[in-house]
Amino acid sequence: MLKKRLIPKLLIKHRQLGPVTRPVLVTTVRYRDIREVGDPVSQAKIYEAQFADELIVLNIDGTPIAGDETMLGLIERLATETFMPLAVGGGVRTADDFGMLLARGADKVTINRQAVTEPELISRAAERYGAQCIVVSIDYRTGMSGRPEVFIDQARTPTGLDVVAFARDAYERGAGEILLTNADRDGGGEGIDVPILREVADSIPIPVIASGGCGLAAHFTEALAEGRAEGVAAGTFFCFRDQNPMQARAHVRTAGIPIRAST
Amino acid sequence: MDFRNCTVGIVDYQAGNIHSIQSALEYLGAGPILVREPGALMEVTHILLPGVGAFGHCAARLQASGLAPTLERAVFERGTPLLGICVGMQLLADHSEEMGGSDGLGWIGGAVRQIPAAPAVRVPHVGWNDVLFEENFGEFAQGERADFYFDHSFAYHDPRKGHTIGSCQHGAPFAAIVRQDNLVAAQFHPEKSQTAGLKFLRSFLALQRPC
Repeated sequence: MLKKRLIPKLLIKHRQLGPVTRPVLVTTVRYRDIREVGDPVSQAKIYEAQFADELIVLNIDGTPIAGDETMLGLIERLATETFMPLAVGGGVRTADDFGMLLARGADKVTINRQAVTEPELISRAAERYGAQCIVVSIDYRTGMSGRPEVFIDQARTPTGLDVVAFARDAYERGAGEILLTNADRDGGGEGIDVPILREVADSIPIPVIASGGCGLAAHFTEALAEGRAEGVAAGTFFCFRDQNPMQARAHVRTAGIPIRAST
Repeated sequence: MDFRNCTVGIVDYQAGNIHSIQSALEYLGAGPILVREPGALMEVTHILLPGVGAFGHCAARLQASGLAPTLERAVFERGTPLLGICVGMQLLADHSEEMGGSDGLGWIGGAVRQIPAAPAVRVPHVGWNDVLFEENFGEFAQGERADFYFDHSFAYHDPRKGHTIGSCQHGAPFAAIVRQDNLVAAQFHPEKSQTAGLKFLRSFLALQRPC
């Protein structure tokens, strides 16, 4: 039986240290309040030892991935030093960018801004590389209207698009997975937005990964059970709390949800 | 086990996640090399056929590479062990229905078909799923179950009788590992499957070409 996934999210910023640019691991709160955590490769190795099911690695500087040796080098090192699945995104603009990331060791590529501004890229990449490696990352906020709206540019720019309709459109164009993040809950720890997650998951037959708001082990269980997510991604929760994927895993397992054993 | 005497030729036909498999083989000490010329295929001790993307795209790339005839000789005349991964597995089938249909190498028979989505069966099939070993394979015993990482929308069905040595289920059952003597192939990604994956790669590397 297919197991549900617990996915640490590595948010990366470029930091200039003298003549070299290094990738640093950060966490955010509501996509602001950036805090440096440390070296992403060391942290990835810790997550691997804690039986994380997959890693999501996102460049949050908004710079293009093509020619970015800092990010590409990081992906290559992660694929060399860990043996776990990698979903990589941030600054992906063209179908060639997908090929480049896959060659460097990514298994899946996520797009966010480009899925809004140039949705044809989804089908173009899916035709070449298969739907299984196309992840559309959707950030949303719930404004005055009460309806969740898709945002881009680190959740700064509203698009006027409805989350459920946009997820459905991404699926129809060939996306193989949706990473759904409530940007208002990012880093807050008050729980996943289960009703919207459920609405999106029920409207499409591809996997949905929930993100934004995990503060307790119980939040993972809620997203997987009531929210019908295939996986839950978390950054702050795994980085700062006295919590790790093994403890969250134990909670999920006790609730009777199929998940990989920590062996 | 020591794999210092192995040289694994990774078939580089511009259609695979080569970096990850290369790293896993290096970690095991198995000396991987990238193969773009047919000649090298007759010298290596093991061959690895990767594959990511649409089946038709991979099949066309493999034909265009000019490596297929030598690959066939290395495997069938020389008896070099070959491991196909993901679409590299599917290429061993007669045919795939992906994107209007294309022919494979037909070495293990069978067909590659879309996994039907259903309530609670989301497609693509992404994540960790357990494989039941139907026969002994290296460090895995018949009847053993192990979790491996899958990422695919199409699955291998009906290889020649007795050739499925590992099965998996996502909605319906499908062939997760097929084997015909020195020819082995897996739908999952051993290079991404942590300890179980490394154990699987060691089991493949333990296969040897007859002297």
